[in-house]
Amino acid sequence: MERQVSRRQFLRLAGGAAGAVALAACAPAAAPAGSGETSMSEEPIVIRYAGLDGMGARVEAFMLPWVEDNGYKLERGAFGQQELTDKIMQSVATDTYLADIFQFPSNARADVINANALQEIPQEVLEAINFDDVLPGIVNTLSWEGKIYALPYDGDIHYYSFRKDLFADPDINSRFSDTYGYDLSPENGAETWEQWGNICEFFTGWDWNGNGEEDDFGAACMTKRGDTLWWGFNSRATAYAKHPDDAAYFIDLDTGEARLNNPGFVRALTEWVEEMQNWAPPGGTNFTYGDSLNAMNGGRVAQTYNWDAVTSATAPETSVIQGLQGYDILPGSHEVFNSKSGEWDYFDVPSHAPFHAFGGWVIAVSAQVDELAYDAVWGFVTHLTKPESGLAFVTDLTGASPYRFSQMEAVEEFATGPLQLGEEVAVDYLNAARETLDHPNAVTDQAFGGWVQYRDALELGVSKALANEASPQDALDEVAAAFNEISERMGGLQHQAELYARTLGM
Amino acid sequence: MASETRSYPRRRSRFEIRDNLWKWIFLLPAVAIIVILLAIPVLWTLYAAFTDLHLYRIGDFDTKFVGLANFEKLLDNRSFWRTARNTVVFMLGVVPTQLIIGLTVALALNNITRGQKLFRTWFLMPLMVSPVVVSFIVGRMLFQEDIGPINDILRNLGFEGVPWLTSPTWAMVALMAIDVWQWSSFMILMLLAALQGVPPDLHEAARVDGANQLQAFWKITVPLIMPITMTALLIRIIDAFKVVEIIMVLTGGGPGQATESVTLAIYRTGVKGGDLAFGSSQAYFLLIILMIFGGAYLVLTRRAMGKD
Repeated sequence: MERQVSRRQFLRLAGGAAGAVALAACAPAAAPAGSGETSMSEEPIVIRYAGLDGMGARVEAFMLPWVEDNGYKLERGAFGQQELTDKIMQSVATDTYLADIFQFPSNARADVINANALQEIPQEVLEAINFDDVLPGIVNTLSWEGKIYALPYDGDIHYYSFRKDLFADPDINSRFSDTYGYDLSPENGAETWEQWGNICEFFTGWDWNGNGEEDDFGAACMTKRGDTLWWGFNSRATAYAKHPDDAAYFIDLDTGEARLNNPGFVRALTEWVEEMQNWAPPGGTNFTYGDSLNAMNGGRVAQTYNWDAVTSATAPETSVIQGLQGYDILPGSHEVFNSKSGEWDYFDVPSHAPFHAFGGWVIAVSAQVDELAYDAVWGFVTHLTKPESGLAFVTDLTGASPYRFSQMEAVEEFATGPLQLGEEVAVDYLNAARETLDHPNAVTDQAFGGWVQYRDALELGVSKALANEASPQDALDEVAAAFNEISERMGGLQHQAELYARTLGM
Repeated sequence: MASETRSYPRRRSRFEIRDNLWKWIFLLPAVAIIVILLAIPVLWTLYAAFTDLHLYRIGDFDTKFVGLANFEKLLDNRSFWRTARNTVVFMLGVVPTQLIIGLTVALALNNITRGQKLFRTWFLMPLMVSPVVVSFIVGRMLFQEDIGPINDILRNLGFEGVPWLTSPTWAMVALMAIDVWQWSSFMILMLLAALQGVPPDLHEAARVDGANQLQAFWKITVPLIMPITMTALLIRIIDAFKVVEIIMVLTGGGPGQATESVTLAIYRTGVKGGDLAFGSSQAYFLLIILMIFGGAYLVLTRRAMGKD
């Protein structure tokens, strides 16, 4: 007879052994959840928060007056970006206490919520933070099967950014128009990926930045495996591979089969390889997120897409292009591959499918919240995510991006607040954010469980194509096969398709 | 006439019993810690390798015993074998280079009379820096293809910039260069210590007997430093097989899969991806290979040195 142990039992056993060692090694220190229990009336209630190091420090600085006014104590666990999700997931899987409040990436929500690791957000908290003000694209990243399990903190998306000063230059525009038969648009930049490709080609190989060197290129993107390649590629692919009549993008909702090797994805990768190999700065096929930003802010490429293109371009110590950038929703396409019919459909007006790249950091309350700290914890997250606090975060250099309708109207705060965007940039930025987050054909980031494995499989294949180790079709065939294999391991194709439907709010 | 002798078992004194007991009492914490920290994880990993344990699988799934399925999958996994090949290439590239550099510098240092301490400290410095820092500063910044100083110098000299991080071959060369930079110091220090242990009178005797410097080096120095050299080589080979930090920071395993090592693949599968079962089978595979290699290496070197 086959002996079966539940995964949780198995991990708990191992966790118990590890815990015994940890306790033996750290005998004087109290167990995390214990201090609340041992604390008598004279001991302040401790709220424990686990989040990113940098963002967490901002949260701590912002929340400290509130914490002290209420007589509480705050203990903050600081983690690196790569480490934080692992820590949370391991604590979830092994059923061990990490903190009362988590900051976590919204695309881990299926893993975290399904493990019963979070408290459902009470209605009174939702009312207190005016939850109706949150944009639908963000609400989806906080919910599971119609219930809200997390609170908004950050509306992370990719913005298309371009050098509007160059695009508005009559001489440059006339040369561009002679070559490609249409004008550059200083208002919108590239409307389609085809135009983006033309711009990449046109701005490569001549000294448009006037520094006397031929160090000028068309574009820079995040292409390094293990860094942010997943988002770099998907932002490039959605316009071809996400059909407005079909909710699905990564896998088929009926069969669970991966779509990653369909003609839409292959076309995107083929074009991307050509652009990054020929019209990006040297090393452009292995750029980190930071490299691509530096190339743009250093005035060496004409366009990019990134999370922080807006805020980093305004900082004089890191940018030579302050006030010279325009922002818009990611480019679209006249042709979109229809996975259901197996044909390319033509759209007179370009079809956009903005990718909610990463989807943002969210705040949640652990199911293992310290009982004594229960009210304090809910008070903390309410204060942290209420509209006034949210506005303070997204208009400062915190790395958080706007996510509420009301924030989209706060041009003045973005223009003259700590970010100092200026009115023109602030308007472009907020319009692009709103259009992306409120778009009917927006693509929700992968969140249907085991996302790190899918991400690694895609990054490996795309990276092979970028390095000419495989053709785009072969590379994506490998990716699709790997996706299907991962889905089988994660419970089966159908099971993953069902989870995917739930992440899409279906 | 031989006297008949009888041997009686010697009675242990009470002092000896108590002495042994105290030894065990003092040893027990260390033994317990080693058992808990080493044996339990090793056994747990072995068990996991024979299951379908997955950290992030959603829903009501029981962990099943799957026999050798993970190892079968491993043998069929082209991606894993690619990482194995990369690891061997890396090891073969760095360890001999470090040995040559280490021996050359150690011989030079052994022969200088002034400043030896200064140089010894100087060569110790790369070892004190974290591999992550080395890969970022020495690697990611120096080898940056676009604006990095190495390519800048090459371009100023009229050469083309080298695709350090985007060509599969050059990316491996860049990784090897970083590892050699950091770990040659280890070889230098180990071999210098070995050279300083060679009694000078042996060389003087050889000279009196008419041996030239090369003969003295091969016949006296090399055999005497061989045990430490072999130990240093074994440590470096095992380290090279486990390389992960510099690859993560510098290339992320790319371009494509050109620089992904076995350990990085294990980390991605088991820790990042949550597939503890398959990750454990990969880890055990690496452990077994290293044990076989290490065992064979020790036997062969002992035999070569005439100890068996």
